Amino acid sequence: MRSKLLIALATLGLASLTAQAGPTEDLARTCNACHGLNGVSVGPSMPSIAGLPEKYLKSVLLQWKSGERYSATMGRHFTGYTEAELAALATYFSKLPYVAVVQPADAKVMARGKEATERCETCHGATGGAPDDDETPKLNGQWAQYMELEMMKYRVESTKMPHKKMRGNVKRLAEEDVPVAAQFYAAQPK
Amino acid sequence: MSFNRREFLKTLGTTSVIVPLSACAAPSGGKSGGSGKARIVVVGGGFGGATAAKYLKIADAGLDVTLVERNKQFVSCPLSNEVISGHGKYEGLLAGYDGLMKRGVNVMFDDAVAVDPAGKSVKLKSGKTLKYDFLVLSPGIDFNWKAIDGYTEELANTTHPHAYKAGPQTLALKKQVESMKDGDVFLLSVPPGPFRCPPGPYERASQIASYFKHHGKGKCKILIADANDSFSKKGLFEQAWKMHYPGMIEWVAGASGGKVVKFDAKSNTASSDFNDFKGAVVNIIPPHHAGLIAMNTGLTNDKGWCTVDMLTMESTKQKDIFVVGDSTIHGDLPVYGAPKSAHMANTQAKVAVSNILARINGQPSPEPFFVNTCYSIAEKDWGFSVVHIYRAKDGKLVYDTKAGGISPVNMPDEAQLKLQRKLESEYCIGWFKNIMADAFA
Repeated sequence: MRSKLLIALATLGLASLTAQAGPTEDLARTCNACHGLNGVSVGPSMPSIAGLPEKYLKSVLLQWKSGERYSATMGRHFTGYTEAELAALATYFSKLPYVAVVQPADAKVMARGKEATERCETCHGATGGAPDDDETPKLNGQWAQYMELEMMKYRVESTKMPHKKMRGNVKRLAEEDVPVAAQFYAAQPK
Repeated sequence: MSFNRREFLKTLGTTSVIVPLSACAAPSGGKSGGSGKARIVVVGGGFGGATAAKYLKIADAGLDVTLVERNKQFVSCPLSNEVISGHGKYEGLLAGYDGLMKRGVNVMFDDAVAVDPAGKSVKLKSGKTLKYDFLVLSPGIDFNWKAIDGYTEELANTTHPHAYKAGPQTLALKKQVESMKDGDVFLLSVPPGPFRCPPGPYERASQIASYFKHHGKGKCKILIADANDSFSKKGLFEQAWKMHYPGMIEWVAGASGGKVVKFDAKSNTASSDFNDFKGAVVNIIPPHHAGLIAMNTGLTNDKGWCTVDMLTMESTKQKDIFVVGDSTIHGDLPVYGAPKSAHMANTQAKVAVSNILARINGQPSPEPFFVNTCYSIAEKDWGFSVVHIYRAKDGKLVYDTKAGGISPVNMPDEAQLKLQRKLESEYCIGWFKNIMADAFA
């Protein structure tokens, strides 16, 4: 009886944890070199990836792999991973806690930022902390420089960026409002 | 099939990230003095060694991890070319070992002078001896001072810095570059591969050209005397040179007599078998090999590099010694195997850690993941990279030729080309901050 229980427990342990421990954990550790320990970046040009919605992460990772979405570097990584591995990575990082790295901005930037990001509100929420759905990333306390660089991608006509609505809205921002919008969200704790 | 209690605990230990692994099993051989803790000594606190020490403690805080490092302060080679040109600050290259100490790593500022693989111990300069169950060796490189007749260690430390180990020589070379007059020649001698940071010399040439361009010294020339017939990211560098520094940088391949074998410090002349090269500043990067301690321990092949089991990073010459970083020849790519980069050292260290833990807990070797990302900045807002993904296939490490590769040389239009180079120049800095933290924080 006792040994049967142990077998059951052991099997349960294996089944429920394989997704996180073992290969995915080892694979995820290679991401830390650029995206920080546990997916929390300390380099302003690199996004924190922990705690982002699973659906969002999965779709971006797969779009990079297939080449549907422009990337400077990530596509060259992900062509080397299987779809199953990318899905497992998306799950893994989505389950880690989201850590907002709050980057304070002055009152003028915050006031202008509030106005400039009005068009972003519908999907990302007023402060970026409560996006509308699972396919939209959180923006509060994300690195300002990363968000600015990301918007630059949308503003170059020839890049492949599948999200049409996002492209339209970013292009409608005045050039000088791009860094301001980024700083506005980066300053939000939640 | 039935589980006994011990096996059950082992199973739990390897499938859960919460249960401390040291609680589950004694180290193999059980030579841990009865404390139940495996003793791991890490020699060398660079990107490889520091990452290994940190991740050992993350994997199991109960492990007894000692890091032996000569210097109290680490100086990064990545981004040191940007310090020579003035685009980066020297202070930005520095890291200490407090972060590792806080994680419970026993950091000893000492010099490892000998390893006894049979007795499983490391002898230190101070006279102490450290016993180990597993040794992680990350000694980096040392130079072959016999390779270039007339270029000595003394010259390197005084009038002719190589600056290929970042530190005081980085600042010495920076000073020399700054003292150059418009029209002077900077001569850079590149050793035969494999050497650390394959694109490093060419990034250095680019950075120094950037300094000349932005400091009214546009008539200066940079002459690269290369022992090799090609180089890393060649198409990307040549495009950048043509675009940003037209006519300023000249590259002489090995086949055209670029391999420097002799140096005369008095006349500042470096010579190959065919040519004499002169420069107002001569920067010779001497050929190198694995750190001396690895050579003295008998871990190196006839070319001076440590051979390792490609999937585990364990030395092929000695059991229970894992070698990571620039001192290894790893993988079956021509010349380099895997590039000698900080990123490669980082992933090699993590693979070594996973294998050491598997061994302690009597588990099979885990599937290894090796990744390399290596950025170069050729000019402000002009960066590019090379990516390598490796996979274990049939017991071998295989470079995935369908993935990875260099940044595209050509893009659909100029706007996208500029965007791509701008993004990667900024990602380079972000990568650096994260990889420094991944090793030292």
